[in-house]
This record gives sequence, structure tokens and C-alpha cells, in this order.
Amino acid sequence: MISARNISKVFNAGRPNEFTALHGVSLDVQLHETTVLKGPSGSGKTTLLSLIGCMARPTTGRIFLNEREITSLPERFLTEVRRSTFGFIFQQFNLIKGISALENVMAPAYPTGEKFSLLRRRAMETLEMFDLGKRADARIEWLSGGEAQRVAIARALIHNPAIIIADEPTTHLDTRLSHEFMDIMGDLKARGTTIILASHDPLVYGSDLVDRVVEMRDGQVVDGESAL
Amino acid sequence: MTRMIERQRHIMDFTLAALLRRKGKNGALLSVYTLLVFILASILFFTHALKHEAALVLNEAPEIIVQRTMTGRYQTIPVAWSDRIRQINGVISVHPRLWGYKYDKDFLANYTMMVPAGNPPEPGSIDIGSGISRMRGANRGDIIAFAGHDGQPRSFTIRNIFDSESQLVTSDLILLSEKDYRDFSGIPEDQSTDLALQVRNPREYATIAEKISRMYPDSRPIVRTEIQRTYDALFGWRSGLMIVIFAAVALAFVIFAWDKATGLSAEEQKEIGILKAVGWETSDIMLMKFWEGSIISLTAFLLGTILAYAHVFFTSAALFAPVIKGWSTLYPTFRLTPFIDFGQVATLFFLTVVPYTVTTIIPSWRAATIDPDTVMR
Repeated sequence: MISARNISKVFNAGRPNEFTALHGVSLDVQLHETTVLKGPSGSGKTTLLSLIGCMARPTTGRIFLNEREITSLPERFLTEVRRSTFGFIFQQFNLIKGISALENVMAPAYPTGEKFSLLRRRAMETLEMFDLGKRADARIEWLSGGEAQRVAIARALIHNPAIIIADEPTTHLDTRLSHEFMDIMGDLKARGTTIILASHDPLVYGSDLVDRVVEMRDGQVVDGESAL
Repeated sequence: MTRMIERQRHIMDFTLAALLRRKGKNGALLSVYTLLVFILASILFFTHALKHEAALVLNEAPEIIVQRTMTGRYQTIPVAWSDRIRQINGVISVHPRLWGYKYDKDFLANYTMMVPAGNPPEPGSIDIGSGISRMRGANRGDIIAFAGHDGQPRSFTIRNIFDSESQLVTSDLILLSEKDYRDFSGIPEDQSTDLALQVRNPREYATIAEKISRMYPDSRPIVRTEIQRTYDALFGWRSGLMIVIFAAVALAFVIFAWDKATGLSAEEQKEIGILKAVGWETSDIMLMKFWEGSIISLTAFLLGTILAYAHVFFTSAALFAPVIKGWSTLYPTFRLTPFIDFGQVATLFFLTVVPYTVTTIIPSWRAATIDPDTVMR
């Protein structure tokens, strides 16, 4: 279980443009479930996702991952937790331009020092899972929107993460691709992966796949209902 | 250990791919960097080669030279003086020398003509320097003519062409027999150009010079240290000019490195954010930037140094020649002897590669320590 206790996040503290994105949020996310953070822009969904995913530290409060307190870990250990536990899918995919789909998928694992041939094979297998084997050597700029999305998912899976975090994953996708994305998430869930999504797309939070919807507004959790 | 090597390899591979992705920007960067190293290295090689040539000249210079002057102007010296000078304690030998200059108006060149102390050419034949050989297209066995003091041409057969260690000394040199030289220059039998002395103890130079001055008040003894000062002034002047250029280029390099150091493009910052978000540590980013700086600076250093070597030693510093060899119209072209002081190359390395690598790491470190969640927004 991931537990957030009384989390606050203040940006630009002490400056004229100080901004509080989260106000004392407490939340439990069950493993092996799909949880959606729902809310309008500026409600704090992305900030909460990045704190849960060890990308940033809360200003106050603590986060526990399987009862291990992770907020006070030094950067090196936090990176290790992020790398070994979480896979991220960003709103704009954030793929690295100028290199191939395969290199993008392999990039997160470069610092681990895994043998190149093994890493390459693993990355190819992951791309083939998404029917992208033939596009492995294609540069990111040459891929269609759907292909780029699947490369981004493949990259998130390269470390076999226990938890997938996706921020507004369907914002730039049409309905067909959005359904395709949710199908892939369904497959991952079936394999036991925990999925945490931030979205205000009804196609996401209304999906059968979702176990729990947490509604946020103005940096606070206003409702946390269980899916039917 | 294997993992550590693999990690370095992966990150280096990724760095190379990253450099190739920004071909235009990195190509321009590499060009400017190479140009600066090229100028700095050319200056270092050139000044050092000149100093090296000067040292070679001095090695062969006599310990004391005695000239004769009249009202402060140079005159030929009576050969008979050598007998009295040889009597001075400490003097090992006195050798009357015959040498002088010849301006060749057809080729706009100045030659040094000399009667060698040993193994002079037979009358009617000469040895010439490689500069004259190149300029006049004359080779061994060819016949070459020069106008003598009376305007009448004298023909000589080329016996030999020098391929000496120092072209600065021999490039313009013509060696000929005493008989030919006297006929050519018009110097009478009892006169010579100057006297070259060998002295046993260097500490006696000044005393012997003083004794000669007393013996012949119109003589002018020149000791080797004075010659050294002359050469220092000659080469030092050029070296001084070079140092001014060196300082200007070094300043340009500092500005260039500083500009690079303070600027990290938005695209690069975003890429660092992505890499951190997907699991790279700050140290991984730093390693990547270290390799990036090293690859660019080492490539620029090697390219710049090799180009500078070719420029100085194969083209005789063609780009600098108009500035520093203004007298070249009076001198056959000479090629500097390839000579590299590895201490200076190491200095150049530490002045260019190290500061650049360090300056590229600092902004990357600042970017690498930013929370990776910046890419989420």
C-alpha cells in the first residue's frame, strides 16, 4: 500500500509567486488496483502523482511505500526506489527526440550497467509486446501518435515496475487511441501491476478498469469513492 | 566491476548519440573550439621552434668574434692580427673568417656567403642551402651564376645541398672556397671579415675581450653572451608579439567557455529532466556531461593541435608569415624544424581541455539537481 499522510507542497516558498499546490492531503492507494486522481486543471493531481512517484519531496507530510517511509530518503536512494518501483507515462510522452524507439526504451536502464545484449533483447521484447518490433530503429519523430504512446508505455515498463504512474495519458489522444491505452492498462493490471492515473477524461475515470476514483479540487481530496 | 564498465559504456554511447543529434550546434561548437586550439597551438609551436632554431645557431657560434671598426662602422680585419691575439693566455685558436651577404635582385633574396673552416668546396664549385636550391630550382651538379663585387657574373658548379637540422641557419647559405670568395667579394688577401676565437675558460671571455680591445683599440670583440642577447632580442621580439596574440586568443577562449558554461538550452534541460524522471541519478547526468565535454574538447584539442603542427612545420606558419616574417622578401623561404615540447602541449591541454570540461559540468550539475518532476509540468 502507498500511504500519503498530511502532504503539502509549496512551490517558490518565500517568493512573491509562492503557490501551494497541495494542502494536507492524506490518501491510501491499494496495490494491484487501478486508482484515478480526478479533478480540473490546477487541482493538484500531477503534484500528488509526482510526490507518490518519488520525483519530488513534499514540503510537509510523509509518504510510505509498503510501510517504508520514502520522503526522507537521500536522493540516491529515492532514485533507486523510483527506478525499481515506478514506471512513468507522461502527458506529452516526453520521449527523447533524435534517437530511435529502441534507444528510448533502453535509456532508463543505462545507468544500471546491465549487459548491452541482454538489455537490448529485453527492450525489443517489450516493444514487440506492443507490436512495435519493426519500428524499433525508427526515430521518435517518424512515429505516429499511437506508436509514440506505445513507445512511452514500453519505456515505462523496461524495469518491470510494480506501479505505473500516468499523468493525463489520453489528453493528446483520439478516442480510438484512448481506448487502446486503456486496453493496455487492463493487460498490465491483469498481470498484477498497480496503476495510478491522473485524468479528467470520463473515458479514463469511467472505465471498468478503475477500482477507485479520488476527486481533487484546489489541492485537496474532496471525495474518494470506490468504483462499481 | 563489469557493471561499472557497462554503465560507463552505455552512458558514453548515449552521449555520442546526443552529440550527433545536435549536429549543427555541436559542429559549430567544435569548429570554434578547434580554431582557438589551432591558433594557440600554432603560436606555441612557432615560438618554440624559433627558440629551438636560435639555440641551434648559438651552439655553433664562436665563443668570441673580433671585428674591426672605423668611426663606428664595420671594416675588414687584417689577418695579421690573429697572430698577436693567439698569444693571449687562454686563447686556444684564432681563425680568420671570410663571409658576407649577397643580395640577389632577380629573386629578391639575400644570401649568406661563407668560406667554411673545414672541407671547403674546390675553386669553381659551391655548396648551397635548401632554400636557395628550392628558389632557384638548382640541384647538385647544376651550374649557377652570381654577380660579383665588380658586377661581373661568376659561375659555380653545385657540389652539395645542405639538409641541415636548422634551416634557419643554412637555408640561405652558400659555401665556397677562399680563392673564389676573395675574387667574388674583392676582399684582399691580407684581410678577412672577422676573427673567430676559441677560449679555454668561459670565465675568461671578458678579460680576453678587454685585452684585445687594449691591443687593438679599433677592434670590437663580441662574446657569445652578447650574441645570445642579440638573438634573444630578435626571437624574443617575435615571441613577445606571439604572447600578445596568445593572450588575446586565451581571452577569447575564456569568453567562449564562459558562454557555454552559463547556457544550457531549454531542450537540454528538458532532456535532463526526462532522464532523471525515468531513473537516472544526478551522478549519471554528471557523467554524461563529463563525457560530452571530454569528447568535444579532446576532439577539438587533437584536431587543433594536428592542424597547428601542419600549419607551422609544413606550411612554415603561412597564416602568421605576413605579420612576423616581414623581412622574408630578403630571405629565401626556410622551413622550421619540426620540434615539439611535450611540456608545452601538456600546458595547452590543461589550458583548453580541463577548463572547458569543468565549465560544462557546472551548469549540468545545476540542471541535474533540479527535481525531475519539472518534466511533469
